[in-house]
Amino acid sequence: MEIAVLVKPVPDAETRLRPDAGGSGLDPEGVKWVLAGYDESAVEQALLLKESIPGTSVRAISYGPLARAEEVLRFAIALGCDAATSVEQPAGAPDDPLVTAAALHLALSKRAVALVLCGKQAGDDETGLVGPALAEMLGIAEYGVAVNVRWDAASSALTLQQSVEGGLVRVRASLPAVVALQQAWNDPRTAKLPNILKSRKAAIERMPASEVSSAIATVQALAARRLAFRLPPPRTGAKMIEYKSPEEAAERLVRILREEAKVFP
Amino acid sequence: MVDFALTSEQTSLRDMARKFARTEMAPHAAECDRAGRFPDEIYRKAWELGLMNLNVPTEYGGTGLALFDQCLIVEELAHACAGMTTSIIANCLALEPILLGGTEEQKHRILDPFCAEYHLASFCLTEPSGGSDAGSLKTHARRDGDHYVLDGEKCFITNAPFASLYTVFATTDPTLRHKGINAFVVSRDTEGVLPGKEEEKMGHRASATSTVRFEGARVPVANRLGADGEGFSIAMRTLDQTRTPIGALATGIAQAAIDHAAAYAKRRHTFGKPIAEHQAIQIKLADMTQALRAARLLTWEAAWTIDHGERGSLESAVAKCFASDAAMRVADEAIQVFGGYGYMKEYPVEKLLRDAKLAQIYEGSNEIQRIVIARELLQRYA
Repeated sequence: MEIAVLVKPVPDAETRLRPDAGGSGLDPEGVKWVLAGYDESAVEQALLLKESIPGTSVRAISYGPLARAEEVLRFAIALGCDAATSVEQPAGAPDDPLVTAAALHLALSKRAVALVLCGKQAGDDETGLVGPALAEMLGIAEYGVAVNVRWDAASSALTLQQSVEGGLVRVRASLPAVVALQQAWNDPRTAKLPNILKSRKAAIERMPASEVSSAIATVQALAARRLAFRLPPPRTGAKMIEYKSPEEAAERLVRILREEAKVFP
Repeated sequence: MVDFALTSEQTSLRDMARKFARTEMAPHAAECDRAGRFPDEIYRKAWELGLMNLNVPTEYGGTGLALFDQCLIVEELAHACAGMTTSIIANCLALEPILLGGTEEQKHRILDPFCAEYHLASFCLTEPSGGSDAGSLKTHARRDGDHYVLDGEKCFITNAPFASLYTVFATTDPTLRHKGINAFVVSRDTEGVLPGKEEEKMGHRASATSTVRFEGARVPVANRLGADGEGFSIAMRTLDQTRTPIGALATGIAQAAIDHAAAYAKRRHTFGKPIAEHQAIQIKLADMTQALRAARLLTWEAAWTIDHGERGSLESAVAKCFASDAAMRVADEAIQVFGGYGYMKEYPVEKLLRDAKLAQIYEGSNEIQRIVIARELLQRYA
């Protein structure tokens, strides 16, 4: 069977972010794009399934500006994905989860994919909508906040666990399905050096912007518009409380919280 | 034409090495240093990820990287722990003579099975009576039919207690000096190959170092590298290749020293402000940064020169010598920035000084490097 794993390029956590000239988006200048942490867990899950189910292959799919998408796709190939598809974001298309889902739907509707894995959200905009929206467009079930996805050969179904308030729910899921994964529960592997070298030369299937444009036209009209993009205000210095006894410390802290920080009325 | 930008492939390689260094090596560096522990499990993982036989072409099972790319990786690894890095790159040094002097048959016969599994190899040149004066080595190789019989002792041999393969330099005729030296590939299983006990070292304590004795060790003639008497040339050409990554290792130590010192200088307050705001500390950090950047660029230049097909004796000697002297200075100053805390083993900077010291000594002492530099220089004024 073919597993698709969706990978999103997000700014590296060590990159210094700046608003662009218009003040409504991120200035891409100097930004290093890396595979989103949640998606890295999804890739790891895909590879674990591939290793446990004979005859399984994994295709990584990414939507975004070509260079960015292909960078994370090569990373996914270096980790062990068999193939990759880049879905080119048309110039001017908004960064909107429904638009992204529609673009990915175009790529997926052309393939017989049994299982779609993705991170439950991405580390940049954190909307958590692409997985559910894509499942809706494909007309199949979606399982969110998942961990420990296993293949049960006897029943030809997946078993997985979903995080809920205070615990985990065990679920049996038939295919096809979209499963959105929790981050960093499965200790994603490190790419081997020879695989990194090979991944640089790997062929990547391309879905050009011209094809994508018509597929996203309907939802693009519904896309959220970002009005402003600002950095959080710089942190101000911490305030040290001087005290002679714990009681005095607590009293002073409460007074500051009430009178200065106005946390309590 | 001159371009300091890394390719996206190089960035990927460096990032991978950085991740390995930070997640697998750094957390164990202090413990291995304190205990003098050889972290075999980390080296095994390094091998699994292709970080070990970097210079061996892929056709023999290695990673097959250009020297420049090797240097990017070595700097990242050394940033986490120079001692572990020495053990990880020791295979490159030990296998280089096979790459330079071996026939196709020898390369496949020896390297294919070696690289296919986790194995360590040791480069055995230095002897108790001298390292830099390699022409006077005393380990003797006596021809006996299809074999050579090796007798003698090597010392300060990296990874020797755990190696399965040794590249050994021995003389068939001491009166011939350099021209009597041959290079041999010797399996650990050979009778009469006796690694000694691990040395207690000042630094690089995660790396194992010992003597290796050869007592009538019989080595097939088929394991001699190159023509009869070519051993000295193979040894020197090997060091021309492997000297540059020592520059990268030293650069990694210097970068670590600056990272620690700068972060500490912004945290530590005296006279009502962070010490980073005192010019005395700023001047130190500025000087350290100059030394670091020059070390890195000289290392890059040497690697680039060799990757472009030149021998690079001058460039690699300059890189190794300058970078290791720079690492020593920078680590020294990092301790000074930390003050009393820097002298304490609880803090990470005193280890850097102990580790940097070896880079001035091994793979050709810096005195030898200066001789090489002067010789190469003066030749150009003939």
